[in-house]
Amino acid sequence: MGVRAIVDTYEYPSRSAQENYGDDLLVHVWWQDNLWFCSAGCFRVPQAMAWGDFLSGVVYPWASGDPDFDPATVHDWVLDDAPLEASEGKTLAELGVGHKSLLEFRAPSRTGREALVG
Amino acid sequence: MTVPAQKPARKLSMKQRYSALTHDLNWTPTYVPEAEAFPYTTFEGIKIHDWSKWEDPFRLTVDAYCKYQAEKDRRLYAVLDSFAQSQGQLGLSDGSYLNAMKLFLQGIASEEYQAHRNFAYLARYLNGPGPRFAALCQSLDELRHAQTEIHALSHYNKHFTGFHDWKKMHDRVWYLSVPKSFFDDAVTAGPFEFLIAIGFSFEYLLTNLLFVPFMSGAAFNGDLPTMTFGFSAQSDESRHMTLGLEAIKFMLEQDEDNVPIVQEWLDKWFWRGYRLLALVAAMMDYFLPKRVMSWKESFELYFEQQMLGGLFPDLAYYGIRPPRHVEQAIEEKEILSHQAFWILYQFSHAAAFQTTVPDAAAQEWLTSAYPETFPKLYQPLFEKAQEVMDGGGRFFNMGLPQLCQVCQIPMGFTEPGDPTTICQRHSIFKGERYDMCSDGCKWIFDREPEKYVQAWLPVHQIYQGNCGGPTIPDVLAWYGMQPDDGGDYLGSADHQAWTAWHATAAKEG
Repeated sequence: MGVRAIVDTYEYPSRSAQENYGDDLLVHVWWQDNLWFCSAGCFRVPQAMAWGDFLSGVVYPWASGDPDFDPATVHDWVLDDAPLEASEGKTLAELGVGHKSLLEFRAPSRTGREALVG
Repeated sequence: MTVPAQKPARKLSMKQRYSALTHDLNWTPTYVPEAEAFPYTTFEGIKIHDWSKWEDPFRLTVDAYCKYQAEKDRRLYAVLDSFAQSQGQLGLSDGSYLNAMKLFLQGIASEEYQAHRNFAYLARYLNGPGPRFAALCQSLDELRHAQTEIHALSHYNKHFTGFHDWKKMHDRVWYLSVPKSFFDDAVTAGPFEFLIAIGFSFEYLLTNLLFVPFMSGAAFNGDLPTMTFGFSAQSDESRHMTLGLEAIKFMLEQDEDNVPIVQEWLDKWFWRGYRLLALVAAMMDYFLPKRVMSWKESFELYFEQQMLGGLFPDLAYYGIRPPRHVEQAIEEKEILSHQAFWILYQFSHAAAFQTTVPDAAAQEWLTSAYPETFPKLYQPLFEKAQEVMDGGGRFFNMGLPQLCQVCQIPMGFTEPGDPTTICQRHSIFKGERYDMCSDGCKWIFDREPEKYVQAWLPVHQIYQGNCGGPTIPDVLAWYGMQPDDGGDYLGSADHQAWTAWHATAAKEG
């Protein structure tokens, strides 16, 4: 069922559509099983950004807000519910990262699920 | 023959005057068809056969309304004056208490005004004279509430941060987009949906969960202006509750076809309102130096007992069942306030209120109020946050959060049955992905995706360059914030001023 409205056709553009960001994308990064960050982070990144640059320039600086974060322990990347095997040179577009894609990773933390509830 | 002296005309009773004001002043237009005079009461699919069946249990008249409200205003403004003259702010339980009131002023005053505007619209566009007059009275109430809230809190603006620019902030700031988008959603709906959204769900189903904690919190913490405002608004609120209940019963009684439509609105607006109350939950459990009751107790009393136990059995007679997803709200009562506060804590650098790690006494209270969840899941967060503080830092989240497309709260709520996994839901609409924080918000999105794709999500707008610039200071300046508004409470300008005032008082005393 659509919107019941006083106009016959109720259709308006998305305020978050990709074309509002030029050649960039919004991506969501979620540190799975860690309660320290209240939610996934949202970042604006170029589609042509290499995975390695994305990690060192976007993900790690954000994740280091958790004092327990160690980049060497990051594992099990997931992109939109499917496991992701990424090489550092590939671009986000080549890896299939889309607008508002969800990227998940795991890493140990004292405020992680294992530490809290086992 | 003598003519007996004519007795002076007897004054009309209240009931007669009400009838003269509403039904006697009403006429059926002949110069335009009814559908043209009242063009907005059919498109939602609600069928009304007899508008005169609307019963206003209060039967207020204009003179009675004005007399009563003027009396209350006189009392309120006398209290505000004496509080200001006696430097009443020094008698608050603690300076940190006012962070709750900053949230209240920034988040609620503008919504009172929104409600005023839409009830004014109903006062013109509902077909029946009874509901039109009831809407007019509520419209005036809401305008007065906006004004009296602003006046009650204006004194604090002279001495504390965060009370300036509340109107600009309401229209721009990320956490205030939560109440703003809630009301935008309601006022852009049709008149009947608005009556269920605000008149019933907000003013009846959830009102005690909103007002009682703030007003009792004020009373417990020495905030005489807000407490007096609360008393002044209370009698209006009980009238609004009655109006809300009358509105839903009227719609349900007029036509059986209305029942499924009303049920869906109830499902939607329960969840919308409940999500909005996450901010209240955080306030109750974390912002008040002297606590009234926990969010959990409040939810059990005002919602589970009074609404699910008292109201819904009555509504079952009309074929109405408790709102969809209510079982998830019940389950969340153990975790909601902690998750909401943890969001506010880590984004306090971008807020016009301050937070801090709960002290030992507060943590003890939280442990006794939430023995199953606080020590295991949330205390470790605060212990680690304290470690960061002890090391000379303060944990602020240096990213921007993923927001729910519907409630616009950072997506920090967890999966039903699993408080350690964030709940991620999404829908694809016309090729674009939209994210939601819960089954409730996803259900609302999927019902009217055309509406929610227009959402002005603060994070996305920042990234589009529409919020003053790319850096946090740019955005905060555009929000109307000043450097001392946010951050940690300990060491803040408010904390320092509070400590200095009391040190002086101790020396002089």
